[in-house]
Order: sequence, then C-alpha cells, then structure tokens
Amino acid sequence: MLTRRSFLSSCAALLAFGSWALHPSFAQTADKGAAAFIEKLGNEAINAFSDKGTPRAQATSRFRDLLYQGFDVPYIGRWVLGRYWNQATPEQQQEYLQLFERMIVNTYADRFVEYSGETFRITGSRPEGESDTMVTTQIVRPSGGPPVAVDWRVRKRDNGYKIIDVVVEGVSMGVTQRQEFASVIQSNGGRIEGLLQALRQRTARPG
Amino acid sequence: MTLASTSRTLLRTAVAATLALALAGCATGAGTRSADATEEVNDPLEVPNRFIFAVNEAADVAIIRPAAEVYRAAFPDPVRSSVQNILRNLLAPLTIANELLQGDMQGAQLATGRFMTNTILGLGGVLDVATEAGIPYTYEDFGQTLAVWGVGEGPYIVLPLLGRSNLRDATGLAVDSAADPFRLWASGTGNTAAPYVRGSAAAVDHRSRILTEVDDLRRNSLDFYATARSLYRQQRAAEISDGKTAASTPEFPDFDTPATVPAR
Repeated sequence: MLTRRSFLSSCAALLAFGSWALHPSFAQTADKGAAAFIEKLGNEAINAFSDKGTPRAQATSRFRDLLYQGFDVPYIGRWVLGRYWNQATPEQQQEYLQLFERMIVNTYADRFVEYSGETFRITGSRPEGESDTMVTTQIVRPSGGPPVAVDWRVRKRDNGYKIIDVVVEGVSMGVTQRQEFASVIQSNGGRIEGLLQALRQRTARPG
Repeated sequence: MTLASTSRTLLRTAVAATLALALAGCATGAGTRSADATEEVNDPLEVPNRFIFAVNEAADVAIIRPAAEVYRAAFPDPVRSSVQNILRNLLAPLTIANELLQGDMQGAQLATGRFMTNTILGLGGVLDVATEAGIPYTYEDFGQTLAVWGVGEGPYIVLPLLGRSNLRDATGLAVDSAADPFRLWASGTGNTAAPYVRGSAAAVDHRSRILTEVDDLRRNSLDFYATARSLYRQQRAAEISDGKTAASTPEFPDFDTPATVPAR
C-alpha cells in the first residue's frame, strides 16, 4: 500500500526527474565560469552607461575598454574575413583589423551610450562546439514588448574568458558580418582592397 | 466563390507548388557548394534580385516607412497592439493547419487554444488574452512546413513588394494564401478589397515595429542587400527550428597564428 510518505517521496523523485529531463544541459559540463563572466560584464556595462552625465568621448572610451575586456576582437575580425584572411598580405591584415575595430566601435558605441534602462537575465548555458560555452540571456526592454533572446558564445582564454560571437534571436552577428564582407569582396572582383576601401569610407565619417 | 472553384484553385496551387519544388530540388542539387557553409549564399538570381531589392527599398523610403512613422505617431500603443492582435488572430487558422502538417500536435493544440481564447474572450482577436494566460504567440507557414518535410530552401528570391524569400518560402506563401480562410471568406462574400486592406495593414504594422532597427542596419551596412539576405536566411532557420538550437552552428576554429592586436 502506498503510504503518504512514499507517495510524497515518489512525487519529489518525479519532480526531480522532470526538471532534469527538461534541462538536459545541466547533465553536461557547461562551464559555470562563462555564465559568471557574462553576468559580471553585463553588470559592468549597465553601471558604465547608466550615468547620463558622462561626456560622450569618455563614454565611448569606456565602451572600447569593455569591448576589449569582453570580446576577442582580433579573433572575431579574423573569423569574419573567413577564407579571404589568408589571401590578404600582412599589411592588409593589419589595416583590416584596425578598420574592423573602428567599425565595431562606431556601430555599437552609440547604442551603448544611449542606454535606456534595458536589463538582462541569464537563462542558462550549454556547451557549444568543441570547447565553447553558449550563455543564453534575455534582454528586457523598458518600453515593454517581448524580451529579446541573446546568446553569447564564450571561449576560455589563458587569462579568463572572451566572447567570440553573439546570437540575437537565432541570428549570428559573426555570420551576418562575414556574409556581408564576402559579398563586398566578391562584387569587387574578389579583391580584399575593395573591402578595405569600403571600410575606410565607412569609418571615416563619424558614428 | 463556389466550393468547386475553391478546390480547383487549391489543386492548381498544389500542382504549381510540386513543380516549383521539383525545380528547387534540381537547383539545390546542381548548385555549387562552397567548402565553408557560412559563405554559401545560393543566390544565382543575384542581379535581378538586387534590382527588385532596390525598387522595394525605394518604395519603402517613399511610401511604407513614412506610412509606418505616421501610424506610430498617430495611434497610441494599446491601439497598435490591438491591430497586431487582430492581424495575428486572422492568420491563426493557417498556423494551426501548418502545425498539424508538421506533425506538431502540441503546437497545434496550443495554437487552437490561443485562437479560441482570443476569438471568444479576446473580443474577436482584439485582445491577446492567451499570451496573458501563458500561451505565447507562435507563427507557422507552409514554407516552414515544407522545410520540416525536408525541402531545401532553393535559390534566394526577392519578390516585388513582398520582399525577401526563396523558392521554398515563395511556394509556401502561394499555398498559404490559396488556403487562407480569410481570403476565401472575402472572395466568397464579394469583399475583394479586404485581403489587400489586411495586407497593407500588416505591412505598415510590421514596419512600424522595426523603424530604428532598419535605420541602423541601413546606416551601418557596407552592402545592405547582402546583410538583408543573410538576416533573412538565419531568421527563417530560427523560425523553422522553433527557436531551438540553431540547425547548423558555424565552426569557430582556433587559428594557428594569433592575430596581432591593432594599434589603438
């Protein structure tokens, strides 16, 4: 006969199993440090841009600091160039990385400087690829509307962690940029100089 | 429209769809496959596509974007939410049908629950009571159903006014609009303008929700056509997998020679 206690404990077991089955990612080894790294970086970003009294130049330089602290910018730049990286001369590679960094700062600094009270919540993390961790977050906008799912692909580096890709609602920023750059190079007859020229023009104008 | 002519239309669309997909199959089979999946774009019609894209862009800048801005400024948030709710509710039968065709019984059940709840308790779809009750909105179309059945996307196509698509999704769109109960009702009762009104409303409503995003993208892109194409393909892949883990995550190899940090 099913006693009250054994009934309760089987319920508890069922619940425990249920939650395990719902979150199989916990069974694998998702790097816990990666989620902590994203949490810390996110909080630092919110702190850095919450104060609206900061002069613009100072806010932009804060953004650049956080960018290098959180992201492996040279790795992303190289990944985005894809197979064209190896076709570029060392001088072209060097100039490309400088322009790429400037483009990232130009594109995203404003969006962070104009921070308007978005908050984020870490919803989980799972192993991704051979050695990376995908930290999944939800960004909640103060204006309401459904939260935005943003996933951060984090790789362990000698001295901590670095983000190597950001996936917004299933759209990889890295893949998008890579396909755009490839298209620019192809429409310039496969020459990397065409992309460098476009990047020079794009980064010459402010913001 | 009589039942006979309705079924003829459906049959014609189905035949056209099958033919188109047979072509798509050939196209995918014959397409050149790059070693790097993330650089593969499957856009053999790029030249005409770019032309239509430019025309669509002009139409957007001249008409659709201004209309969306006026709409956003003229109506308060609750009104615009209601419009979105009504538009979504009208398409709910198609989502239910496609969930069933995809064999997603739970999805079909939830979508049916949503449709009933919002139609009855939500005053004919004006209020989204279902989301409040914890049944989130989902959207399924026949293009997604074909993908679940294993049909490849085929070449990328930019349609006049309707925008970005591919052979599979354009086929899906034709089937969806042929089977759309709202359109059938409209043509059956002589309200021939109704589907166009709904289409325009949906376009303006959708456009009004992505004003800043599209502006940002236009401003920051080196090649907006290529960015839009990449976004479309990735967004569709995410919709097909219903937001679960991406079907094909790109490789992120460790590079042998560490890239030098640029001078600051």
